[in-house]
Amino acid sequence: MSQDVSTEAVLEAVEPEAAQEAGVAKKKLGWGFWLAVGWIVLIVLLAIFAPWLPLKDPNENFIDIQGKGRPPYGPSADHWLGSDQDARDMLSRTIYGARVSLVVGFSAVAFGFIVGGTVGLVSGFVRGIFDKITSFIMLVLLSFPALILAILITSLMERSLWTIALTLGILSVAPVGRLARAASLVFAEREFVLAARTMGAKPSHIMLRELLPNVLIPMSALALLGTAIAIVAEGGLAFLGLSVEKGSTWGKLILTGANSRQLEEAPWIAFVPIAALFLTVMALNFAGDRLRDYFDVRELAL
Amino acid sequence: MVVLLLLAVSMLTFVAMNVLGDPLFNILGPIAGDTENPESIAKIEAAEAQYYLDKPLPERYVRWLGDFVTGDMGVRFASDGQPPVSGLIKERLPRSLVLMGMAQVLALAIAIPWGVASAAGSLGGTPSGPRSWRFLAPFFLKATVIAAFAALLFGPTVTVGVVVWFVVLLSAHQVAGTNSVAKRFVDVVKRLAQNFSSALSFGFISMPNFALAVFLYYVFALKLGLFPLRYDASDSFLTRMWQLFLPALTLSLPGAAVYQRLLRTDLITTLQEDFILMARAKGVSKRRVLFRHALRPSMFSVVTVFGINAGALVGGALVVETFFGIPGIGTAVVEAILREDFPVVLAIVMIVAAGFVILNFLVDLLYSVLDPRVRS
Amino acid sequence: MNSPKTTGVLLDVNEYSVGFRTERGLAQVVDKVSFQLERGSTLGIVGESGSGKSVLNRSLMGLISSNRQVEEGSALFDGEELVGRDRQNFWGNRIGMIFQDPMTSLNPVMRIGRQLFEPLRQHLAMNKEQATERAVELLTQVGIPEPKRRLRQYPHELSGGMRQRVMIAIALAGEPELLIADEPTTALDVTVQKYILDLLGELQTDIGMAIILITHDLGVARGRTDDIMEMYGGRVMELSPSEELFSDMSHPYTQALFSAIPRVDQPKHTRLTPISGAPPDPIEPPSGCRFSPRCVYAQDDCTTTLPELRGSDEHQFACFYPVGTDASMQARSTNTTRGHTATGLKIQTAGTS
Repeated sequence: MSQDVSTEAVLEAVEPEAAQEAGVAKKKLGWGFWLAVGWIVLIVLLAIFAPWLPLKDPNENFIDIQGKGRPPYGPSADHWLGSDQDARDMLSRTIYGARVSLVVGFSAVAFGFIVGGTVGLVSGFVRGIFDKITSFIMLVLLSFPALILAILITSLMERSLWTIALTLGILSVAPVGRLARAASLVFAEREFVLAARTMGAKPSHIMLRELLPNVLIPMSALALLGTAIAIVAEGGLAFLGLSVEKGSTWGKLILTGANSRQLEEAPWIAFVPIAALFLTVMALNFAGDRLRDYFDVRELAL
Repeated sequence: MVVLLLLAVSMLTFVAMNVLGDPLFNILGPIAGDTENPESIAKIEAAEAQYYLDKPLPERYVRWLGDFVTGDMGVRFASDGQPPVSGLIKERLPRSLVLMGMAQVLALAIAIPWGVASAAGSLGGTPSGPRSWRFLAPFFLKATVIAAFAALLFGPTVTVGVVVWFVVLLSAHQVAGTNSVAKRFVDVVKRLAQNFSSALSFGFISMPNFALAVFLYYVFALKLGLFPLRYDASDSFLTRMWQLFLPALTLSLPGAAVYQRLLRTDLITTLQEDFILMARAKGVSKRRVLFRHALRPSMFSVVTVFGINAGALVGGALVVETFFGIPGIGTAVVEAILREDFPVVLAIVMIVAAGFVILNFLVDLLYSVLDPRVRS
Repeated sequence: MNSPKTTGVLLDVNEYSVGFRTERGLAQVVDKVSFQLERGSTLGIVGESGSGKSVLNRSLMGLISSNRQVEEGSALFDGEELVGRDRQNFWGNRIGMIFQDPMTSLNPVMRIGRQLFEPLRQHLAMNKEQATERAVELLTQVGIPEPKRRLRQYPHELSGGMRQRVMIAIALAGEPELLIADEPTTALDVTVQKYILDLLGELQTDIGMAIILITHDLGVARGRTDDIMEMYGGRVMELSPSEELFSDMSHPYTQALFSAIPRVDQPKHTRLTPISGAPPDPIEPPSGCRFSPRCVYAQDDCTTTLPELRGSDEHQFACFYPVGTDASMQARSTNTTRGHTATGLKIQTAGTS
């Protein structure tokens, strides 16, 4: 409303709720952010130190027909989160499952960021044929329905932790690359880069010292979100039976519990890993979202 | 450009399947390695002839492409007597399309009222008094729905608790005009409700679709018995639609949450515009302003994401179809990939990619319908 | 629609105040404003940005939806008290409002016809044929050529002047007794301004509708209004019949406004005389007369006491030293001699108007 400027100013001073409603980012991270980070740290620590924690063996079958009848056993003093249908302890399985899920998630993102980030950064700066080719490749990769591509690749190789991580990493190269390229394009036009160029700086130097720190900011805010997506993707693959062959991940645990019979008798088998997955993903999403608001990253052609 | 893209996609898939897998093995099984037995050799030669396996890779690709474009999607591997690929597609594609279509429709059906409701506070205007019809009707509606859920899921104790809560809330509203404690109580509840709504939408976004599938299945199919436990292709049309409802709902919820958030943001921005004020000053009611004046100009982000979401929906469909046991192209492609049956894989990948392109084209068209300024 | 009365007071505003609670304190944006509007007459409300004129009108109409608004006083519309009640029932059919920017005030994705039909169907319960007929009539009345064709067009297909006419047509559709025009011509070209203002005048004569014309431009108000009310810092500075305002201005603010208008008959390159200073802070206004910090006549009592409206029933002003009186000239020379006013405003001794 344009007329009465000072009325507007008064009204704005008077209606900060309206500004908040409009989703204007408060420049604060907030207690929710730290709560989310706390959870993530907790899970990571539990995963790292799992072997040293007083947990039962995740693969051992604690069958106790006399005492407790046939498995699955519900939550009790013996099994804090219950056991699955083969009497394996849910608590330790979930924590050990975190190890693989998290590792896959983090390394996929790391791979994607390093490769995609570099390619994007360079394309945005160098432009020309290189840019055209890489952009086309990324577009092709993006046009592939992601899950199908993942299944395609994993089905054709041995399914170890690293190949799964690699697959997911390859999948994340395209979106990350596109973001990095967009950011790089924006910054490459800025004056400080032009200044560096005119001073005769070598292109590699420019990319490393001038562009990278700036591009890194929007990318890092997205790293958390990307990890969440990667973890979910692994879960999806596991659910289809296509994740790592050895060891357990949250997705596989959910699969174990996700048939009618188990759900009927012992829903915790599925719901414990679901809860762990959900909380972790939500924490990552929330923290990533807050970071994005904080750094005020606009959707650079995402 | 688009054609180039589709070609590239198909090439990539073709190469991947041929190079990383062993087609002969996939077609014939162990016989493929059996070069002693003359019967096997005959079979091998027949297969090679049928699939042009003795020709170089590029030529095979071109042959495949030629066939595909003319509608012949080839014959499945390992499939003596089984229907050709196009038959498979014909059988399964409609089912998946119905599933995904339902999901998008549901997503919008959920997101639009939700988004409008959460943005409506921004419209302002004098708040309706506690005794007015405008306030009481939605209140009782909400209370009834929640109480019904509580009764179905949790049993009598919780239901009574819920009813008591609503009585307290209603009385607080009535006296909030005069009693400041009551007023503060009501304000806190309102704020919590707002936060709950945004937390809920955030939760839906974070929940992976397979987990959501399990959860919804547990609650609605097992516990409440509202939905059947599996899909049966031989049932009547209506029964099948009902069977597809829960899977479609699973697919729709994350999308709904995203649309709701986008819609809310855009609506709040639109509601600040002058023409909304003018419409109110004309005497148009709040509801009409929200739905008839403000909604259409606020749909842009939703429509954009709608197009992008289609891609995500395909991936989600894979999972959901597998879990609920629905024979659609999602399950088809998973099985095919595991069997390295590449005519099927190629066909499905191409269809999905093409579908995606068409959808985005439609979305572009939709822009010009929504905003006449774009048309010129 | 009840048979229109043609005389009598339509809007009776008495000590009407609007404030907003802020973190810094209460912002009194409208401070005890009183005026009366007769049926069929035009009141011009003139003031700068920050004078409270827009808030006054939007608040009277009930369009401000903030929880922090504090409304006091009384405003009787045709005998009914507006303050303290939900005014939605008045919108469109008893009080209409048009806004400054016609581009943003019309829904860009809705056809003109539909925007016109809404008030017709809602307030006058017309069906489609009747509404179409009436819409065409309205568009013709506001001077839009090819009205039938316009019904199907979108706002962006019309020029600024036409859009403003459409807006007037829409506001009229509900057949209100009062039309509030909030800076209706500020966003338009000067040539178009004249047409719109002429149009408003014609409509008023034809329909017998009362108009409140809000503007920051005294020139716009002149000749088009029956009375003019000047606002500054949320208070009424001067309220008088239009021509009398110009021939017999009493308030220093009026005089300053008048001098600030560039005139065609002045020689080229004449310096404009702006009013130095800035509008007062509504949360912590200056003590005494709100205008005193910028007034060349300001004396000590201007800073300590808030002047109430005085003068005749017809012509009121809020000043201790009205222009043209001996007291005023005395005050002026005191200030000139000492080089500044009681509020510290410097007076130039050479070249003053």
